[in-house]
Amino acid sequence: MSRKSERLVNLVIALLATKRYITKSEIFRTIEGYEGSNESMERMFERDKDELRTLGIEIEVSGLDPLFDDEVGYRIRAENFEMDKDGFSPNEIAYMSLAAQLWKDASLSDVSQKAIRKLSAVSVPADISEIPAFAPVILTAPTFLSELISAIADRRVVQFKYLDAEMIVNVRKVHVYSYFSLKGFWYFSGLDVDKSENRTFRSDRVMGDLTVSKKTDCYEIPVDYKTDLSFKENSSLSEAHLHVRTGRGSQLRILASTIETGEEFDIIKVSYSSEEEMIALILWHLDDVVVVSPEPLKRSVIDALNQLVEVHG
Amino acid sequence: MVKQIQDSQVNRLLDLVPYLIANQGIALDQVAKDFQISKADVLDDLNTLWMCGLPGYTALELIDLSFESGYVSIRNAEVLSKPRKLTTIEVGAIIIGLCILRESYSPSDVQIQVIEDLIARLSKKSHVTAPVALSGAVSNELRTEVNSAITTKRNLMISYHSFSRDEVTNREITPFSIKHDETYEYVESFCHLAQDFRSFRLDRILHGEVGASASNEFPRNEHAEDDRIEIHIKIQSNSRKIAETFSVKVAEEFHQGDVIKSSVYNLEWIIRTISSLRSSAIVIQPLDVRSQVQLRAKKALDLYV
Repeated sequence: MSRKSERLVNLVIALLATKRYITKSEIFRTIEGYEGSNESMERMFERDKDELRTLGIEIEVSGLDPLFDDEVGYRIRAENFEMDKDGFSPNEIAYMSLAAQLWKDASLSDVSQKAIRKLSAVSVPADISEIPAFAPVILTAPTFLSELISAIADRRVVQFKYLDAEMIVNVRKVHVYSYFSLKGFWYFSGLDVDKSENRTFRSDRVMGDLTVSKKTDCYEIPVDYKTDLSFKENSSLSEAHLHVRTGRGSQLRILASTIETGEEFDIIKVSYSSEEEMIALILWHLDDVVVVSPEPLKRSVIDALNQLVEVHG
Repeated sequence: MVKQIQDSQVNRLLDLVPYLIANQGIALDQVAKDFQISKADVLDDLNTLWMCGLPGYTALELIDLSFESGYVSIRNAEVLSKPRKLTTIEVGAIIIGLCILRESYSPSDVQIQVIEDLIARLSKKSHVTAPVALSGAVSNELRTEVNSAITTKRNLMISYHSFSRDEVTNREITPFSIKHDETYEYVESFCHLAQDFRSFRLDRILHGEVGASASNEFPRNEHAEDDRIEIHIKIQSNSRKIAETFSVKVAEEFHQGDVIKSSVYNLEWIIRTISSLRSSAIVIQPLDVRSQVQLRAKKALDLYV
């Protein structure tokens, strides 16, 4: 383990220090740790390059010139390896550290720990005393949040199994445009490729992991794209008149446009877009709510109650 | 024991060098703490680094380390001296963290502008976008009150919406800590109304205010009952809503006509929930719950006569 780490660190140092591209044979000749037959060194080098790339280290390859039988060369540019810390004030570095610390014990905690490590090497005195105390922040982020973020950053296509409202699991292929968190749930939005429509997905309805395409820049995020945060399927509103028992029906009262106080029941007006949801909400309140109008809503509630009596007989 | 993070040694070593340069003379214990590894691992890392350097690998080219005293100093590591660039996903974690931080300030605070500029600059550089919305179900005012009650060890006066009973009650509670499960935040408390330890969902606290008094004694009412009920429900439709309501996770386990078992805390909750599901879920057991559902539906119907 240590021997391999040693070789990889030596490789990084050599590729960073060089001002020109260095060839594979130079690498094998000069860098400590490359041993054995040419073939085994080749294999070793391929694996090493892959490993460094998964760590986010960009290794540049010199262009192949068909006219010259030149060997391919490699190097790491300092600007691709080092943090551009000039752009940040000590205070900003402190904020970044603090932001990363919020992930303690949450889904991005490993990632954040590495970020904190890097930031702690920026030797600037930071005044974080200005940062107010706050309660532990809930981070209910999905385990695949990191895949999601890098998919958006690199415009990679994601694929996943999704549980739809009819309990059918199907595979979705999506160009993710945005992500957000509302009331304890994480969502992501974008183009559902097979349906050719913009859709929003709730993270906890994804079954298993996200698969992210190897290819990058597969799509562009439309400049005029705006995430619909309202979740309204049908924007036409209806209005219901309801009798709500006094002291009851907090959920309905929050939605009400007017409340007229009565003796045993108050009279409220509520606007709604989804009849299904309105019926469910009214039924939840059982004998604390009476529908006055509209007639179809009243009919549906009465039917549902009758059915409820029947199936529980 | 420190919690190990998923990492490779080489990744750690490349971060260790600039960290040691920025913190010359740092104690081994502190390094172990900051990198969340054991002291043995720190020593192993340092011994490995000690063999690294520029090609040639003589004393002139190798990284020079001393740590026998328990404090680490490093020389001759110029090539790796700069802090490493943050990866895309590391920037992502920071950006989301900054958005959460922004929410924790009041809108008039000057710090908000600093944080917003920082988010914008980080996004531009890395192509990582910030979440378009990040709202918890809990207001900052309430969070501040709860937090201050916990830290100053004072009681909190709350108006709590008991969802299942559909009632708002005023309670005095002694809050201990904020906990969360996968979806909601709770404040672990002693409730002086119920005379028992209770968890209150933060998003159902309509109003909270730090009170004047503090409590050190928590007289428990031994008669507080545990109203957990085991319930059998027959599923009449393949609806995701039912699965989510009763926390049935895997779709394959769940078919029309199946009977699922669920443990519920509250009779009122189950009666109302079953009603709202419009006969797509039918209570099979216990029988008294089944007849209660019927009775309550009849009572609701009576209002239309």
